[in-house]
Amino acid sequence: MKPIQEIGLIVGRELKKNLRGVKGLILLALSLIGGTAVALLLVKAFQRKLEGANPEVLRQAQGELWSEWFHDKAVGEHLSTAPISLVFMLPLCIWLSPALIWLAGFDGVSGEVQHRTIRYWTVRTRRVSYYVGKFLGLWATITVMTLAMHLLMWIVTLSQGLYPVGDVLLWGPRLWLVSVPIVGAWCGIAVLIGSLFRTPITSLLVVGFSFFGIFVLGSFVPFILDSMVRGGGSPTANVLRGFYPNGYDVFMLSPKIERVAIGLAACLAFAGVPTALGAFILEKKDV
Amino acid sequence: MSESTAPVSGAPASAPPPSEDAPESQSPASYRAAGTTGKKKKKHADIAVRLSNVTKRFGDNTAVNSVSLRIRGGSVYGLIGPNGAGKTTTFSMLAGYLRPTEGSLEVLGFSPTNVPALRGRLGVLPQDAMLPASDKVGEFLVHMGRLQNLSAEEAEKEARETLAEVEGKDWWDQKCGTLSHGMAKRVGIAQAFLGDPEVVLLDEPTAGLDPRIAYEVRQIIKGRKGRATLIVSSHNLQELEEICDGAAILDRGRLVASGSISELTGSAEEIHIKIAPGPLPLQKVIDLPVVKHAEFVEETRDLVIYFERKQTDAETVIGQALWVLLQDRVMISGVTKGRGLEKRVIDLTDNG
Repeated sequence: MKPIQEIGLIVGRELKKNLRGVKGLILLALSLIGGTAVALLLVKAFQRKLEGANPEVLRQAQGELWSEWFHDKAVGEHLSTAPISLVFMLPLCIWLSPALIWLAGFDGVSGEVQHRTIRYWTVRTRRVSYYVGKFLGLWATITVMTLAMHLLMWIVTLSQGLYPVGDVLLWGPRLWLVSVPIVGAWCGIAVLIGSLFRTPITSLLVVGFSFFGIFVLGSFVPFILDSMVRGGGSPTANVLRGFYPNGYDVFMLSPKIERVAIGLAACLAFAGVPTALGAFILEKKDV
Repeated sequence: MSESTAPVSGAPASAPPPSEDAPESQSPASYRAAGTTGKKKKKHADIAVRLSNVTKRFGDNTAVNSVSLRIRGGSVYGLIGPNGAGKTTTFSMLAGYLRPTEGSLEVLGFSPTNVPALRGRLGVLPQDAMLPASDKVGEFLVHMGRLQNLSAEEAEKEARETLAEVEGKDWWDQKCGTLSHGMAKRVGIAQAFLGDPEVVLLDEPTAGLDPRIAYEVRQIIKGRKGRATLIVSSHNLQELEEICDGAAILDRGRLVASGSISELTGSAEEIHIKIAPGPLPLQKVIDLPVVKHAEFVEETRDLVIYFERKQTDAETVIGQALWVLLQDRVMISGVTKGRGLEKRVIDLTDNG
């Protein structure tokens, strides 16, 4: 049996377990309702401000909004024609994902190490396959959850009839796909940190603190640093932003292919390096 | 420490050479199709398990200390010892959960961590390992079978068969988290037997079970005799004496004795006759030609008769000794062959 087959079987089980379990269903329901509701409220607020404006003014305002939001004029321009509800869904989804990953994935490995359930697997599958299966299983689970959130928004947007069906079907998957590598990056980090501990409660706390730490260092501190430099653009802030997976959405939204490639490569590195490290540690340790 | 070998049962076959890069093992189904083994009887490796100077330390604590052991294919072998003797640590190293600090282990000629080579050939019932609570029994067993390289159909068939073997076929749709301790133990045994593995490690298979369920589990294990090399650890020495061909006795991480059950208990060399109060013709017993030596322990009223295992057997000695005793109207309350495993273990491990 090849490692890929082992991984496939474990991913299938993880998906089934996560999406069928009470925890998974609650997370899915909350993210669906909460995510869609917040996105629609943001859309409403934006549209209220520009009530009665002609489509060209609306498009321009949208371009300015996204330029400001993503700190990138080209991206703002690029997104100016996209259905606004779908674009709002992306940052919301990216913001919600770490919380979903934290709650859905903190005990993926530690829960099975604590009660030695992992022992049923390690006599049948390579530990590397087990670990990679756990990581990919979590990634697939959260990807399905974010797809559900986006799908709901596509349906809502289509039912509003404000945008042509083609625009929704073109921009919807494109925007959802941007979230997929970012979700992978957070999953890689969560599974690594979670697997270092034998008790799920420790994993829960340490993964939570780590995610918060990454947010503070990669988003909040650069924001402060930028505000302290006249005209913005602190070099330290830019370096710190590089360690924040959510910051790569702007790369993958770019109309320039090389920027998309950089964003993709960074996210895959965030996912791959911790996964390789975690698999190596599990391979070496006693279970 | 010298190596010790368990008795042979089943025809010997050469074990594959040890190699980490061994090819993927055949699935049980393909084994059977190839005609190399049947469901009931199969060829066993000459040496199924080998430990060479195995030591495991946890910090300053040495859990297993330079243990060497060989267990022949097809035998039912017991790992015996008091708490903290190193049984579970030895088991965990054999199952690949723990790595030895020193020395080496082989299962069917491979390192226990060589999963591709041992896939489907090694079954393990880990002690105190919880079943995944949210999985249904059937889907858990099928998933385990699939990871043993069985097709979906084969895995389901095997899962249903092994579940029926542990008398749990009605639990197929029950969640593992809702099973009682005894049911969970039997599902654990079912997963260990899944795919008819050549070597099965059972760590405390009857621990915490009520006597009736423990009896049933013993019957299940006995039913597997001859189909696999079974290695069982248990605190219940009567149980091990009943089901094992051989055993190793561990104490504080060291191997203190090993061999066949009759060797360990001395059942081929001595008999014990419990005598009721009254006179005893000890000299008449000593004068019997089959008796090497006899002694009477007044305190316990235990007549111990030693004999030469190469010249006679226990049954002959029992017959002749009883004949002499009954002629003198001695009241007899019990006869046992050997010292009993329990007494032997206490003798070997209770030395401070």
